[in-house]
Amino acid sequence: MSGLRDRLAGTLDRLVDASPLERLLISVASLVFALVLGAVLIFVSGFVATCNSPVVFIPGVGYGCYNPIEVYSTMLQGAFGSPISLGQTLQETTLLLFTGLSVAVAFRAGLFNIGTQGQMVLGALATAVTVLWLGPFVPNNAIGTIVVIPAGIAAGAVVGGFWGMIPGVMKAYADAHEVITTIMLNFIATAIAFYLVNNHVGDPSSDSVLTETIPAVAQFPAAIDGSRFSFFALGAGLLVAIGITLLYTQTVIGYELRTSGIQETAAEYSGVNAERNIVTSMTLSGALGGVAGAMYVMMAQYRWQTGIPSLGFDGIAVSILAGNNPIGIIPTSLLFGTLKSGSLAINLSLGVPTELVEVIQGLIILFIAMPEFFRLIGKRSGFGSDTPATSGGEQA
Amino acid sequence: MLYAGAGLAVVAVACLWLFGPVDASSIAMALRFTVPIGFAALGGIFSEKAGIINIGLEGLLIIGAFSAVASMYALSLTPIGANVWLAFGFAIVASAVVALLFAIACIEFKADQVIAGLAVWLIALGFAPFASTIVWGQVNSPSVDGFSKWAIPGLADLPVFGDIFVMRPPVMLLIVAGPLTWYVLNRTRFGLWIEASGEDPKALDTAGVDVQLVRYVGTVLSGVYCGIGGAALALRVGQFTGGGETMVNGRGFIGLTAYLIGNYNPIGAFFASFLFGGLEVIQLSIQRTSDIGIPTRLVGVLPYVIVLVVLVFVGKTQMPSSAGDHYESDD
Repeated sequence: MSGLRDRLAGTLDRLVDASPLERLLISVASLVFALVLGAVLIFVSGFVATCNSPVVFIPGVGYGCYNPIEVYSTMLQGAFGSPISLGQTLQETTLLLFTGLSVAVAFRAGLFNIGTQGQMVLGALATAVTVLWLGPFVPNNAIGTIVVIPAGIAAGAVVGGFWGMIPGVMKAYADAHEVITTIMLNFIATAIAFYLVNNHVGDPSSDSVLTETIPAVAQFPAAIDGSRFSFFALGAGLLVAIGITLLYTQTVIGYELRTSGIQETAAEYSGVNAERNIVTSMTLSGALGGVAGAMYVMMAQYRWQTGIPSLGFDGIAVSILAGNNPIGIIPTSLLFGTLKSGSLAINLSLGVPTELVEVIQGLIILFIAMPEFFRLIGKRSGFGSDTPATSGGEQA
Repeated sequence: MLYAGAGLAVVAVACLWLFGPVDASSIAMALRFTVPIGFAALGGIFSEKAGIINIGLEGLLIIGAFSAVASMYALSLTPIGANVWLAFGFAIVASAVVALLFAIACIEFKADQVIAGLAVWLIALGFAPFASTIVWGQVNSPSVDGFSKWAIPGLADLPVFGDIFVMRPPVMLLIVAGPLTWYVLNRTRFGLWIEASGEDPKALDTAGVDVQLVRYVGTVLSGVYCGIGGAALALRVGQFTGGGETMVNGRGFIGLTAYLIGNYNPIGAFFASFLFGGLEVIQLSIQRTSDIGIPTRLVGVLPYVIVLVVLVFVGKTQMPSSAGDHYESDD
């Protein structure tokens, strides 16, 4: 499969090295197209759904329940309309920041980490178990928090990193395609976590599969009444985004991680150990997924509970829309945080299923995967003639 | 490759025997479980051999499964009434249309095949529960009628093994589809085109065959096959369940691995799929006999672990050399 790898590298080259302006245009255009298609889906499905107060009637077709503009504006309202909803949005943003960075770190090394979800699920469990165990040993005050929260993050990072390392090793030394291995490892992670909580570390007094609530010292201090969002967690995410940027631009290790991903052969000529770099990148990516799990436990849920939301998959869209640029992930995670938090509102007040957001995310990924689509549209409508920045990467 | 395939089948049956009696009903059950995986695998071969890596097989299965149940439900509201075969047909069309859109993205708009395939999966993973909620108010459908079993005259009356030959039509389709796919790929002109389209598109072009058209047909065929597989799965269960990873639950990815194990040979892929179908039976029988003391939830990961082990050992497959590349005619 080394052919596949070279080709992937070619694609990633194009995605990463297209001129920044072009990348931005493609991202914005993808977003717009996905939202428009989403609107069409909303409108059409409104004719299938049943409701008490239809918004439109088309003779011969029937009553439509949903007005896409109303749906999108309700979404915005639901994401920013009150302090509590703002807190919800920023909480989602923080979690997506970490899962997005996790996907991006792998992507920058030429690897698709679809396994952020599993790394997050196991990382979250490690965090919950660690802080539950550590809680009784520390004073119930700020000092306790300073000890417990970092320990919880470390536990999540270590376990998530280990779970990311496995597909890394399989890729580096056995050439097993990481897309399939990481997806399989997601299934396995969910089952292991379920088993451990159900049979060993769960709350025995509950019928559901969950751990006990983590001690107060392990909970991120909430910034907004009625919401669990914490500026500390968001701040940590922003720092990590900046840190990863610095790692890639300012350090030798970062440079090696990037080159071995994009140009395997070239990297090897210059004495870079490609195998080790693959493992390192996947481990780092997994660790970030684990930290996302830690944040989920210590900021959002206050316990591990079965049915962890698919933040890891969301991270793929977050990262790809940002062109896998760690700083670009800051606005895209805010964007998807808005969509996710707003999706609760459209479900509650209009009855539109929350899965709408997943469809829109998938569409965004699809559009980003085909920049040629926008170039053709651009040419037909007379905007921007041939863009020289991209003509080089075509022949993979 | 045939030997390897036969070997796998022996392994599957041996595993079955280890964990319970290998009787006609357990083999019949393994065949039933093989259907969605096997069709995904055979379909994936068409697509990838033609040069389009279709990592979205899982998504196509989801579309097939959902469309089959949704069609049954919709038909039951019309004067036509719920008709399994019509629903089956609609599901195949739905999956084929999605595969066609994927092909357009890959061929017309030169999309990155892996990312676009991933998108197909993620879109289906969102769309199916979305649409279920729109139609039924929840991610799971109410139960619908499925296929009834047919007995193959003569064979079904055999002693001991007779039960194997009482099966639902999709199982028969799969048993026919394996050899048929092999024949089409290896003994027909169309098969040669598919092969050349993935291995040496330039030569095919020179010979006057439209490479893009061959790639379109190959990819749409993968949609047709996945439509069959997904619909068969849902119509066997008699319901669409859309929670978590939906009822398809990774079978598309397992199918993908199955054809890698079979090294793009349909017969090999069929036997590899049967191995995974057998694993599902083993898993069920372990879950039923709790005295072995293995937690049921952990037994459930067996197929996924096998996929990992297999990928480590089959890492280097004879992938079609131009699969994944865009092809542009010079003229």
